Amino acid sequence: MGLLSIIRKIKRKEKEMRILMVGLDNSGKTTIVMKINGEDTSIISPTLGFNIKTISYQKYTLNIWDVGGQKTIRSYWRNYFEQTDGLVWVVDSSDLRRLDDCKYELHNLLKEERLSGASLLILANKQDIEGSLSPDEIAKVLDLEAMDNSRHWRIVGCSAYTGEGLLEGFDWLVQDIASRIYMLD
Amino acid sequence: MTEMEEDNLPPPNSNLATAPKSHSEDEALQRKHSAMLERLSNLHQTRLAQKPNLELSTPSNESTQSFLNRFNESKLAVDSKLSGISQMIPDGDSSDPGSVKSELDSVVVLISNLEKLVAESSYFLPSYEVRTCLKTISDLKQQLDDVTSQVIPKKKFSFRNKKKGGPVSNPARSDVVDSVVVKPVIGIANVGLSGSLESSNGFRAKENEVLVREFQRDSGIGEFSISELNGCVVKLKGCLRALFVNKLRDCKVYVGPVLGSVLIEEVEGCVFVLASHQIRIHSAKRCDFYLRVRSRPIIEDCNEVRFAPYCLKYNGIEKDLETANLSEETGYWSNVDDFKWLRAVQSPNWTVLPEKERIEMVDISVFENVNVL
Repeated sequence: MGLLSIIRKIKRKEKEMRILMVGLDNSGKTTIVMKINGEDTSIISPTLGFNIKTISYQKYTLNIWDVGGQKTIRSYWRNYFEQTDGLVWVVDSSDLRRLDDCKYELHNLLKEERLSGASLLILANKQDIEGSLSPDEIAKVLDLEAMDNSRHWRIVGCSAYTGEGLLEGFDWLVQDIASRIYMLD
Repeated sequence: MTEMEEDNLPPPNSNLATAPKSHSEDEALQRKHSAMLERLSNLHQTRLAQKPNLELSTPSNESTQSFLNRFNESKLAVDSKLSGISQMIPDGDSSDPGSVKSELDSVVVLISNLEKLVAESSYFLPSYEVRTCLKTISDLKQQLDDVTSQVIPKKKFSFRNKKKGGPVSNPARSDVVDSVVVKPVIGIANVGLSGSLESSNGFRAKENEVLVREFQRDSGIGEFSISELNGCVVKLKGCLRALFVNKLRDCKVYVGPVLGSVLIEEVEGCVFVLASHQIRIHSAKRCDFYLRVRSRPIIEDCNEVRFAPYCLKYNGIEKDLETANLSEETGYWSNVDDFKWLRAVQSPNWTVLPEKERIEMVDISVFENVNVL
C-alpha cells in the first residue's frame, strides 16, 4: 500500500490508470475492451494469455489489462494484481448455471490484499440476451452487499454486443479512481 | 609504578577501587582514587546524556522504532475495540444495534488511518516492516469482517449464549460461519428457480428422446440450454444468441447458427454439429465436433475429441448463416487451442477427424420421428 500510494502520486501527474479486467471465461471481457476502443468485435477468439490496450478516456490514459478467464489460466491472474487502480469483474448474466463459480472466483479475488485499494466495477454483461438476470439479481446472487464498508464498488448492466452501459460503467470507474488518487494528497 | 598503572586503567568495577591498602601512603592514594572515580563517573554521565540526544537529533517521525510504536498502539486500539464489539454480541438484545454499527464504523476508520500511516511512512521503512504491517492490516480487516458477520446475522439466527474465544463456544462459532455461507446459496437456488433456469429455453433431464425446436426469425431468441441428457437427439433450427451445453451422454446435437458463443461442459460420447462465433469446450470425452467458427475453438480438460467442418442443412439455413455472419467457411474448425497443452507441438487431446470417418451432411429440414440410438 505504501509503495502503491507513491506510485499513485507519480501516476497522477501522468494521469494514467491501470485497469484489470477479469471474470469467468465466456463473460465477454475482450469484447468489452474492443467495443470501448471502437474496434471490430465480430471476430474474437477466447483469450489465451492476455491483451493490453492503452486507451485515452476523458483526460486520462487507461491501461487496460484483459486477462483470459479459462479455468486453467485463472491461477495466473495474480501476476497482474500489482499497481491495479481499478478492477472490472465481468459477469455473463445469461450463464445462470455458473453463477456459483462466478461468485466463488470473485470473492476469492477480493481477498487479495494487493487489490484492496482498487475500485471495483462489476459489469453484468449480455443484458441484451433474453433470459439474462438483471444487475440487481446478479448483485444479490454474488452477495455484493457484503463488502459495503470495505470497498468502492458498483454494478452496471451492459451489453458488449450493443455497447449499452459500457460508458456508464467506465465513467464511474474512472471518476472513482481519480477522486481516490487526489484524496491521497 | 603500580599506582600509576592503576591510575591509567579504567576501573572494571567499583569493588576494585575500594580494595583496602595497608600502606603509609594510604590516604594520598585514596584521594587520588576517588578523584579518578569521579572523573570516570562524570564521563559516564555525559555519555549517557549524549545518547538520547543522538536519538532526538533524527526527526522522530522518520524513526522505524517510533513508527512501530505508533503502529502497535493503533493496532491495540483496534484490537480492543473489536473484542469489545464481539463481547457485546452475547448480550444480544441489551445492546443497541445502532451503537454496534457505529462502533464498527469507527473501527473501519481506525483501520484506514492505520493504512494511511503505513502509506505515509513507507518511504523510510524497511520493506520487511512494510510487509508485516500490511499483513497486520489485512488480518485486522479479516477480524473486522468476522466480527461484522457475527453481528449482522444475529437477528435471524439465535446464538445468544455464544461466547467468543472460549473452547465451549466452538460449535456455536461454526454455526455462525455455516449460516453466513448457506444464506447466499439459498439465494442462488431461489433465483434459479423463480428466474430463468426452470422456465428458460432449453431441454433438460431427458433420456432417449428426439428434442426439436425451431426459432422464429423475429422472436428474438436469447439463450438456450441443453443439459442432463442421455441418448437424445437434439435439433435446433434458426438463429440463437447463446448456447449452453452441460452434462450430455451419447447424444447427437444439430444446431443452426449461434450469433454469440457456445459453451460446452462435461459431455461424453456425443456428436455436435455447430456454427458459432466462439466455441469453448470443457471436459469433453470421446466426442466429435463438426464446426464452423469465426474464431479459434478452445478445449480444456478434454480427451479424444475430434474435429471436422460443419455439415448441417435445413430449408433457409443459408439465410440464417448470412444473418449470423457465418456463411463462409473460415477454416478455424481445425485450428483448436488446447488450454491444457500450451506448446508448439500438436496436442494429444484432439485430432482432425479422418475424412472417411466423417458423417454425411445432416438434413434437419423435416422434424420426423427418428428412432433414437
